[in-house]
Amino acid sequence: MTAPLEYARASRWYGPVIALNDVSVAVPPGVTGLLGPNGAGKSTFLKLAAGLLAPSQGEVRLLGRPAWGSPEAFHRVGLCPEVDAFWEHLTGLEFLTALLRLTGFGEKECRERAENALHQVALHDAKDRKVGGYSKGMRQRVKLAQSIAHDPDVLLLDEPVSGMDPVNRRRVIDLVKKMGREGKTVVVSSHILHEVEAMTRRVLLIHNGRILAEGDVREIRDLMDEHPHTVSLRARDPRHLARAVVASPHVLSLSFGADGEWLTVQTARPDEFYSALPEAAVEAGVTEMYSPDEDLESVFRYLVAR
Amino acid sequence: MSALPGPAAGEAPPRDTTRPLAFLPAARGVFGLALEGMVWSRRSLLMAVLLGLPVVFALLYRGFLVAKVPARVTGLDLYAIIVAVYYVRNVLPLAALFYATSLIADEVEGRTLTYLLTRPLPRPAILAGKFAAYLGTTLALTLPALVATFLLLATARGFAGIGTAVPELFRDMGVVALALASYGALFTLLGVVLRRPVIPGLLFLFVWELVVHIPGYLPRLTLTGWLGSLVHHQPAEEGLAGLFQRQVLPVGEGLVVLLAASALFLALSVWVFSRREYVMEQ
Repeated sequence: MTAPLEYARASRWYGPVIALNDVSVAVPPGVTGLLGPNGAGKSTFLKLAAGLLAPSQGEVRLLGRPAWGSPEAFHRVGLCPEVDAFWEHLTGLEFLTALLRLTGFGEKECRERAENALHQVALHDAKDRKVGGYSKGMRQRVKLAQSIAHDPDVLLLDEPVSGMDPVNRRRVIDLVKKMGREGKTVVVSSHILHEVEAMTRRVLLIHNGRILAEGDVREIRDLMDEHPHTVSLRARDPRHLARAVVASPHVLSLSFGADGEWLTVQTARPDEFYSALPEAAVEAGVTEMYSPDEDLESVFRYLVAR
Repeated sequence: MSALPGPAAGEAPPRDTTRPLAFLPAARGVFGLALEGMVWSRRSLLMAVLLGLPVVFALLYRGFLVAKVPARVTGLDLYAIIVAVYYVRNVLPLAALFYATSLIADEVEGRTLTYLLTRPLPRPAILAGKFAAYLGTTLALTLPALVATFLLLATARGFAGIGTAVPELFRDMGVVALALASYGALFTLLGVVLRRPVIPGLLFLFVWELVVHIPGYLPRLTLTGWLGSLVHHQPAEEGLAGLFQRQVLPVGEGLVVLLAASALFLALSVWVFSRREYVMEQ
């Protein structure tokens, strides 16, 4: 049996720039995370799957047909594009019904499906507001709603939770997992490891247009754990925080910012570091925290260098 | 005889998911979506002003100017100038340029084309639906203004002779539709082929189309030459007649050429659009 989405030695270049390089992969039903730093080729991978681009070389097959030039596939395929673009004069409900009409549904069914999809992304209360007046997170959700409203078998999601608040992020993650359990083929791209990890364990690692690895996300996590992880924290009393964390055997180094508010910690075991952090963070008055490694850029540099 | 089984009233027939939507329903869907966006756009507001200016002129003429203009210049003469010089030669080609070049370009610039290209729609239907929306919008803006201008000017000195002029109005409405279709098809083609089609379009309108004034065969290579020949009425007043082109091309041939050119430009547009990739970046 063939996989719903297959790449056979597919390459794609824009002029002299190679965006995807000799990719051969079969994406089975269930949720597959497409994980890679910005500019790795994730969007090109999805655009080839969605038939928006033709491969420069090789072949991409979607539901058994060439993805390029097979509009009939879109009865069964949904795409949530990365671009934040809408017909701004339409309401959320009008936006969805218009697209459902273009998928061939009758008026009554368009309305029912649109309402149901908006309900699933918690936008039902805002259905009669113009999309132009939606917040960034709402726009993300209505974009997702249009991709699921026709109940597709294959769902291509390009950075679907970007810009969402934690509650809706959770909701969308649950929705994606549910679709995977229902046997749909969901490809979800992200540059944030823990986002993908929350949706699936099966990932494709993409970097510089090549699929670096394919498999269980835990293997990536293990590699990450071997990789020194940097965390920056802004605190009222960074020295107190430093004293609290320096005792941990997994902390490799500490440095203070020039402004006296920031502490940067390098740890070999980020999970254990994060689990031990809350108590010390409260005492030291931590107000901000970020990890430059969250975007995977450094992890990929690390993996590629190995 | 019993009725064949089928969907109940108000229900859509079952979807065939093995092929794209049929051309007509697909084009109708795109038409509805595009029409709403076009009608309520700033472009349409500007075009409504431009296309409605003759109505303002006709009102001024009736209110203030009619007594000052020599009686030998009739309201119908002024109407003829408005149709031939203002509408057919200038404003309709401009309207076509600004609408038709952006049929696809607007969707690319707004990055909404992705939504249309990821539906089970044949690409020719997308273009056809958008072209129909353009024609609907521009005709809806032009024809009422044309009729109002005609009525205001033709009856400025009374209703005498209006009965014989009405067929000319219908003929002019046909010429307006043909002008919008032929220029629109040409500019649709420019819009799908070129990244920046407006300047080449303006050059076509205001440089190439001037060859209509050159005697010989060249006027046959212009759209305005054929369209101008379809505008039937010529004012008797010599000074006004000078505003019209001198060479009148055969009307029957003109109809065939304009319809064939429109069909050819549209077919080429569809061919290009169906094969082209559109890369929309964040």
